[in-house]
Order: sequence, then C-alpha cells, then structure tokens
Amino acid sequence: MSKKITFTSIADLPPLVVSMGTTEVNATGSWRYLRPVYHDKTAPCIEGCPASEDIEQYMYWAARGDFDKAWEVLVEENPFPAVCGRVCYHPCESSCNRDHFDQSLGINSIERFIGDHGLEFSLDRFKVAEEREQKIAVAGAGPAGLAAAYHLRRLGYQVTVYEKEEKPGGILQYGIPRYRLPKHILEAEIMRLERFGVEIKTGVQVGKDIPWNEFLQHDAVFLAVGVHKSRKLNVPGEDLDGVIAGLDFLSRINSGEDVSLGKNVAVIGGGNTAMDAVRTALRLGSTPAIYYRRTRAEMPAILDEIEEAEREGIPMEFLVTPVELIGENGALKAMKLQRMELGEPDESGRRRPVPVEGSEYVVEVDNVITAIGEQGDFTSIPEKLIEWGVVKSDAFGQTEQRPVFAGGDIIEQPHTVVHAIGSGKKAAMAIHAYLNGGDIATLADKIHVGNKGGVSFLRFRDGHEGDPVDNHEVVTFENINTSYFTRKDRHQVPELDVKTRITNFEEVKGTIDREAAMDEALRCFNCGVCNMCDNCLVFCPDVAIKRRDDRFRYEIDYAYCKGCGICVVECPRSALSLVPEGK
Amino acid sequence: MKKVMMGNHAVSYGARLSRVDVIAAYPITPQTQIVEELSELCADGKLDAKFIKVESEHSAMASCMGASAAGGRAFTATSSQGLALMHELLHFSSGGRLPIVMANVNRALGPGWNIWTEQTDSLAQRDTGWLQFYCENNQEVLDTVIMSYKIAEQLSLPVMLVLDAFILSHTYEIVDIPEQEAIDGYLPPYKPEIKMDVDNPHAFGALVTPDHYYEIRYKLQETMDRAPEVARKAGEEYGKLVGRPYDIVEPYMLDDADVVIVAAGTLVSNSRAVINEYREKGIKVGLLKLRMFRPFPTKRVRELLAGKKKIAVIDRNISFGATGIFYQELKAALYGQNNGAGSPDIFGFIIGLGGRDVTLEDIAEIVDYTLEKEKNEEDIIWMGLKR
Repeated sequence: MSKKITFTSIADLPPLVVSMGTTEVNATGSWRYLRPVYHDKTAPCIEGCPASEDIEQYMYWAARGDFDKAWEVLVEENPFPAVCGRVCYHPCESSCNRDHFDQSLGINSIERFIGDHGLEFSLDRFKVAEEREQKIAVAGAGPAGLAAAYHLRRLGYQVTVYEKEEKPGGILQYGIPRYRLPKHILEAEIMRLERFGVEIKTGVQVGKDIPWNEFLQHDAVFLAVGVHKSRKLNVPGEDLDGVIAGLDFLSRINSGEDVSLGKNVAVIGGGNTAMDAVRTALRLGSTPAIYYRRTRAEMPAILDEIEEAEREGIPMEFLVTPVELIGENGALKAMKLQRMELGEPDESGRRRPVPVEGSEYVVEVDNVITAIGEQGDFTSIPEKLIEWGVVKSDAFGQTEQRPVFAGGDIIEQPHTVVHAIGSGKKAAMAIHAYLNGGDIATLADKIHVGNKGGVSFLRFRDGHEGDPVDNHEVVTFENINTSYFTRKDRHQVPELDVKTRITNFEEVKGTIDREAAMDEALRCFNCGVCNMCDNCLVFCPDVAIKRRDDRFRYEIDYAYCKGCGICVVECPRSALSLVPEGK
Repeated sequence: MKKVMMGNHAVSYGARLSRVDVIAAYPITPQTQIVEELSELCADGKLDAKFIKVESEHSAMASCMGASAAGGRAFTATSSQGLALMHELLHFSSGGRLPIVMANVNRALGPGWNIWTEQTDSLAQRDTGWLQFYCENNQEVLDTVIMSYKIAEQLSLPVMLVLDAFILSHTYEIVDIPEQEAIDGYLPPYKPEIKMDVDNPHAFGALVTPDHYYEIRYKLQETMDRAPEVARKAGEEYGKLVGRPYDIVEPYMLDDADVVIVAAGTLVSNSRAVINEYREKGIKVGLLKLRMFRPFPTKRVRELLAGKKKIAVIDRNISFGATGIFYQELKAALYGQNNGAGSPDIFGFIIGLGGRDVTLEDIAEIVDYTLEKEKNEEDIIWMGLKR
C-alpha cells in the first residue's frame, strides 16, 4: 500500500493530475480473472480430410505465394497432391466453415495447383529421419500401399512394394479414366517415391509369386491389395457375350486395350465405377445410359461425377433393376428391367428399393456393364484375417496377427482414394510403434486431429511441441468473427466444353492459375490458427500484446493483461481462447 | 504566399504550418474538408503527422488526448452533433491540461436536421474549460489556428476556434499563407514538462479526493484568468511577425458611438458594412467584435464599453429557457458597472438561426430598433420571425 500524499497548498500541487510515483508497480494484470491464451484449434476441413492434410497451413502459404512451402506442408501428410487434386471427392470442402458464409473454399483446386507446382519444379524434399535396418513389405501399389510405403520410408525403413499388375498405382492406374487422371501425373508422383528409395516390384503377386510365409519374413507387412472383383448381377444371361464387369472394362481401357462396344450400352449402378464406365463408353462412341435401382439422391458416386455425366448428356434411368439379360446366339440382345420403389431405410440409411410387381419391360442393348459394387479377392490371404468379406483390423490397420497390418479398400472403410491414403499413413505409424515396442493407441491423443479419426503425421513425427494445441477442438462457423471477411465467390475451375471432351480422353478439368490459387487461398478463414493478422495486437487496450522476435506469433504480457477478452473476440479465426485464471 | 481558399482549407493550412504531430478526426458536414485536406497532406508526405481514422468524435478527442499527453501536438476538427458527442472529453481534456487545438465549424443542432450555420453548438460548450475564439474571415481562421497553439501550450489548456458553416467554411477568399520559417520561430516544438512516458510510467487523470479536487479546479480557473493577457500578447506578437495583429476583442468606430453592436463571427463583417452606411449619414454607430469568448474578456469589455448608453447584442444562438448567449454574458460582465451611474441599456437580438440569411438590412433594422427604443423592454428581440 502506497502512503497517502497530502498537499497543503495550491503551490504544492503538480501542474496537472498526475501520480507522483511511478505506476510501474501497478501491474494491472493482477486484476485479471480470465486469461487469454493463444490456442490453436483444428479447422473443420482438416478434420474432414481422411488423409488429415494440414489444409489451413498450406492455405496460409499458398495465399502468400509460397507454393514450395505449401507443397511441403501438403506432402507431410499425403504424397499425392497432384493426384488427389484431381480425383479426391474433397470432403474437406463440405466441412468448410466458409460454406456458411458464401461458398466453401476451393480446396481441391488449390491442392491440384500445389501438386502440379511440385511436379513442375521437381520438388522432392523428403527427408529420411534416420536410416533403419528393418525391412517392410507392402502388398499392393495402390494409394494405400504407396502412402504407407512413403511414410515408412520417411521414418527410415527399407520398404518394398509388391504389385501384381504391370504398373503401380492400383485403382489410380487401372480404375480411374485418363480424362480424370492423366497417366503422366500419376506416374510422376509415383516416380518421386521411387527416387526417394521406395522399391516397387511389379508383376509380383503376394501369396502366389511370393508365398505367404516368405512374405511374412519381413519385420512388418502391410496388406493393401484392394478390391477388384465386380459384384455379379445374379440374373439369368449374365454369361452372354457383351456383358462386361465394370472394373474389367475400365482396367482394359486404362491398359490401352481396344474394347469394342455396341451402340446401346447399359451401365448398371450408381457409384463411381458406374460413372467412370458410362463416361468412358460415351468417349468410345457408344450411346450409354445409367440404370440405377434407387434415385439420384441415393447414388453413392461423387456428386461432381454425376453432374459431369449429366452435362455430357448421359441419360439416367432411376428405380429400375435388371432381372434378365436376353441373348440371341449367345450374344446379348436385350435387357429386361423391373421397376422399383423406395421402401424402408436399410442399414446404410438409404431407403431400400423394393420391386414393383408386374412392372417388367425390355430394352434393347448391345452391352451391359455391371458396376453395382466391388469385392475383394482374398484367395491369397489367410482366412483367419478375413471377417465379413473384409480384412479385420482396428483404426490403425492392425490385424490380429503380428506383424500384419492392412489398409485401403480391403478393410472396413469407405472405398475412396483419400481414405486409402489415410489408412496407409495410419498403418505406417502403427508399424513404427510396433517395431519400437510401443503401442500406437497411446499416442492417439497427441496425433489425432479433430474427432473423425484423422491423424497428423507431423505431430506423430515431431510431437508438435510449443504452442498449446487442442487437436480435438474443431472451429465452428459460430467461432469465426465474420466482420473481418468480405463475401467473395470461389474461383471456377477451367474445363473442356462438352462437345470437345466426349470425343476423346483429354483431361476434362484444368488447373487454376497461380493468381487464382493465391486469390482463392486468401478466402480461407484459417480457422483456429493464428496467421499473424495483428488484430489482437491492434485491439489490446493495455498494449500488452507484442510480436515475438524469435518466432511466429505473439506474446501476451500478463503483468498488464487485465483479461478483458477483446483480443479473443476480435480474433477473426478463434486462435485465442479465454480460460479462467488459475486453471 | 497568397492563395484563394475556402475557410476549411485555411484551417488545414493553419494546422500544417503549426506542424501538428497527430490528427484524429471523424468526418461531419461542413467540417469534413478540413481533415480531408490534412489527410492528403499526410498521405503526400507534405505534413509529417500521424493521421488517425476513428469511429466517432468521442474517439477523435480521445486519440488527441492520448497524443497530447504523450507530448504530441494534436489537432482535430468537428461541428455540431460531433462536438456534442465529444462533450465528455472536452471536460476531460481541459481537466487533463492538454493543449489540443480544435476547429469547430458552427452548425445548427438537430432535429430538425440542419447543416447550416448557428453558434449554439460551440457556445453550449462554454463551461468545459476550453478557450474559444470566433473568426470573421478565412485569413483570421488560418492565423487563429497558429495562435491557438501558441496560447494553448503556454496555458496547458485546449483551444477551440470557431468559423461559420458555409459562410466561411465553403467560401473562397484570398488568404495569405505565412512562411513556414516565420511560424517555426513563433511556434517552437511542443515540449511539455510532464508527459506520458512508457519508460517512466505515471497515472494521468486518476482519482482525486475532495481534499485536493477543489484546489485543482481553482488552478484551472486561475489559468483561465491569465488567458486573456496571454492571448492578447500572442496576437500582438503574431502581428509583428506577419503584419496582422489580433486582439481578444476588437473595437470599430467605438469611441464616440451612441449605439454599439456586439457580435462575433461573420456577423461582424455585416455589422461593419452597416456601420459605415450610418456613419455616412452622421449616425454614430460602433462595434465591438468578440474574438475571444472563453474565458470571457470581461475586463476589456468593461473598459471598452464604459459609459456607453445602448448596446445591441446580436446572437445567432439561443440558450433555451433563457436568452441569447452573448447577451447573457455581456449583461453579466456589465452588471453594476459605471459606479451606479446606470448600466447601459442592452438589447438582445436573436437572428439567423439554422443558417437563415442575415442581410445588411437586418442589421440596419437592429440598429434602427436600438436607436428608436428609449429602454429595452424584452430579453429576446426576435428578428425576422414569421409570426
């Protein structure tokens, strides 16, 4: 307590109302009962990405035009940005908070630009932490197998990938048509992994060319052989000439085979294989149509693909299912269809199609391409690993048999490229933990981003020491201070006009240009992560916030911060939190 | 150098010549061009000052107070509603003894919404501890900005200079711009003895108990008492420098006048013209121009009006429920003077509210009325009221 000063006369008084002593002792921070802290949170896009790309961070760098850095951030989690920038169904965009403001960020188009930038400038700055002796074998050079191989290689392991086909890539190589993913893009991203020391042996099938027991001699193995068998329609006439399995059809086209189709081609199904098959048939000069047993709303294909097929003028017949394929001299001639109606929801939550009695009708067809789903061919995998048609594994791909790990479409997860890549990453972490006598489950809290199962390789690798981060706290639109953002439509992706594109296999969609990529990245809210906008510093009424000299971000002088919370409120992106003092 | 410029820009040039360090202002008609010009001067590098954009006049004054407390020469400009919004901080800045200079463009207060000239906005701030000067033309406007800093910084009190909306603010006149070098000699850099210093922090304007508050108020009044002399000298020194002397009150044909007009602002110019006409006719009419209104130059007013019989005060303002404000102030100053030989008869005219035009005929009517009436019969004589 300072002593009371009494002035005895007017002459005694200071010329203005000013304290006689210094106020330096008055550390007003002691008044505080709430404490603002810089507290990074998880952006919903990152949570929404099955490969857990650090989207917010690469947007930060892309907005500043540093695409080298953006690429580095991206490949920390996913080695295939140029591929995913083309084929991913981008659940990140449907999670984007910006969607509630104007339109979601064009994440996929920026990812594609960054991926292409990496290829254009031959970026391959992958670092191996320290070389290790242990040898790991991967079965299947699809997105899951290659992602696992990449991350394991970065951890220092000697990795060999065995691929039964002639070329690596799996579904990317043999499933997805060239007009969606040109082969040179895929091959360039795979070659980058080979240069980095991932060994890929093609034409070698595990369980056949290499006996299972020999395969198991590795320190750890990762199974990611994919599912390649198209489900059968199970109707009479399925063996007729002219009936083709969707995946076989796509694989033959992708291998450069000439597949001759008739005029009327019926594609059965509503998934991505169906869309790929029908659009491919169109490009081969046929007049294809989709026949799907439910309605457009229930189609499992990526919405983009459905819309593109529609734009290309492909007719779609809904609520029908083939009940018989009719032949003449062993060749397909017609298809008998039955009308369906939607009944009660099934286990997938979609309403179950129910046949309508007496509604059969016949259409003339030259070919039927089946695309009603795929299943695994597990003949070379030990039976005890299989349950209900999938390889039984936990969230990190650990099977019941050590050292066998699994990922991609053969485990229980959605059949998407990005889920496959995510599962490869998770398995790589699990394998690393296993080989070092640890348990990946104990790290889950540290490496999880959000609450949808995604994990961060960066945090796995360096522990993300430093600023406090709550990986599980996901920023919602309500957390964004939208006063600091102006409405702006997203950039449109260039694409070939319909007339031109349906005559060939040229890539339909283009890459946005550098300016557009920067401009689009600037639309990013950077949810939950400080991007040095200075708002907190500008608004602090106590001038208690300053930039750090040594590194990114700011420092709060708690001796003077009164805990008013203005910095927290004025942070556009919820990178600050207010916590009760003393906790 | 002579330039043709509007009154608003005369303010801007005055601020520039005063080498202000900080300008914080919020736009309001008819003041906006003052700070618009200053912002351009700052942007063009012609004025080395920090221009702070703010969200209100209250914040404008708060920013000026911070700047001034930290030892900067601070400037702002406002008008009417904006000045009213600043009211709280007008007390705070004078109490804080901060020599801020502000230009106020006289504009009527709403509603009815009105952007034209009237003196009520500035006169309503008479008890806030700010000095007030009223200007008659654009030259005086420019000169008064500079003199205001000279006065403010000697007294550690803020100064408001006032100009009429549109009649000065938007009207172009020839203005002589003094040499920067001359002004630099007149107005040295502001170096307060006590200022806010981050390396030696003190609390400014904090709690003062009844033990001392009374004395602090006394000191402020004591400083106000010194202000007329300080202002007179500042005007005299300025005159020697640029050839245009100014006084706190200025008589015109006053010595032998039977009727004296007392006015401020542009009403003074009209009055001069009318006086000239009457003088030609041999009627002895004179004028006392009030430049300084706060502190009220009581001593000089008493000296100059001693022995006068009839005084016509022209108010373009009103204190509702009372009278014209200049009228009140003059009556108070002259009450009980002349040693009981009888106070002069003071006539209070209210005219031109909300910018209604005040013509030479109107002023002549005021003179005629005052000449004609034996005694003043009412507190408010409404001029031109459409009854």
